[in-house]
Amino acid sequence: MMPANWGYVIAAYGIAAVALFGYWRRLARRARALTARPAAKARAA
Amino acid sequence: MTRVLGWLAVLGLLAGLAAGFGYAPSEAVQGNVQRIMYLHVPSVLTAYLAFGLVLIGSIAYLATRRPGWDRLAGSAGELGVLFTGITIVSGSIWGKPTWGTWWTWDARLTSTAVLFCVYVGYLLLRSLIEDPDARARYAAVVGILGAVNIPIVHFSVKWWRALHQPSTILGPEPSPIDPAIGLALFVNWIAFTLLFAYFLSRRMEIARLEGET
Repeated sequence: MMPANWGYVIAAYGIAAVALFGYWRRLARRARALTARPAAKARAA
Repeated sequence: MTRVLGWLAVLGLLAGLAAGFGYAPSEAVQGNVQRIMYLHVPSVLTAYLAFGLVLIGSIAYLATRRPGWDRLAGSAGELGVLFTGITIVSGSIWGKPTWGTWWTWDARLTSTAVLFCVYVGYLLLRSLIEDPDARARYAAVVGILGAVNIPIVHFSVKWWRALHQPSTILGPEPSPIDPAIGLALFVNWIAFTLLFAYFLSRRMEIARLEGET
């Protein structure tokens, strides 16, 4: 059997977690910016 | 609905981690590094689903010219690139201890890299055209042509001599996977599908808001 190689497992899951969490943050930020824009427009009017 | 999908995805991912690291045994030959499979295989299946939706959205847009179909195609294309990226990186990390190399120009790896580049090009095209109708029309054509790559990636291990192993699921023969490993894989596949549905729902809502502003 091969050695445990936990470092590779942690690296793969870690990079995937960063990518997925980063994408989720990006979506959340973009959604906040888009929903804030009409509200700011309405306040200005 | 989107919020419910999000929480279901979180629960699914936690269940997937528990199944992959707690329930499933260590693989007899590869040991623990095989646990990367619970990330790698669901990622590529999710990417197939995403690019399949790009195809459906693109055909439906050209047939109906309804912008909702273009939003579906564009959102799914972005997610397909994300999940293909995870597939390539996790596969490369898995390849180093098992094959002795991070990358080789094997048929499966090369066709997956081509698939990734085609859909990065698809997203670039969408970002370069300002007129919404022209963007949707051109993107739909690329979305349809790009889908030709999906069966090439999937069947590459059958059509050419490849270092990558043949399909153990979605293959014609019954899967030889140990039931515990198969169950962990199934749980992770469901979790990734839920996560995809959550991301898709949020991304399509953002695309709708972008269309209004």
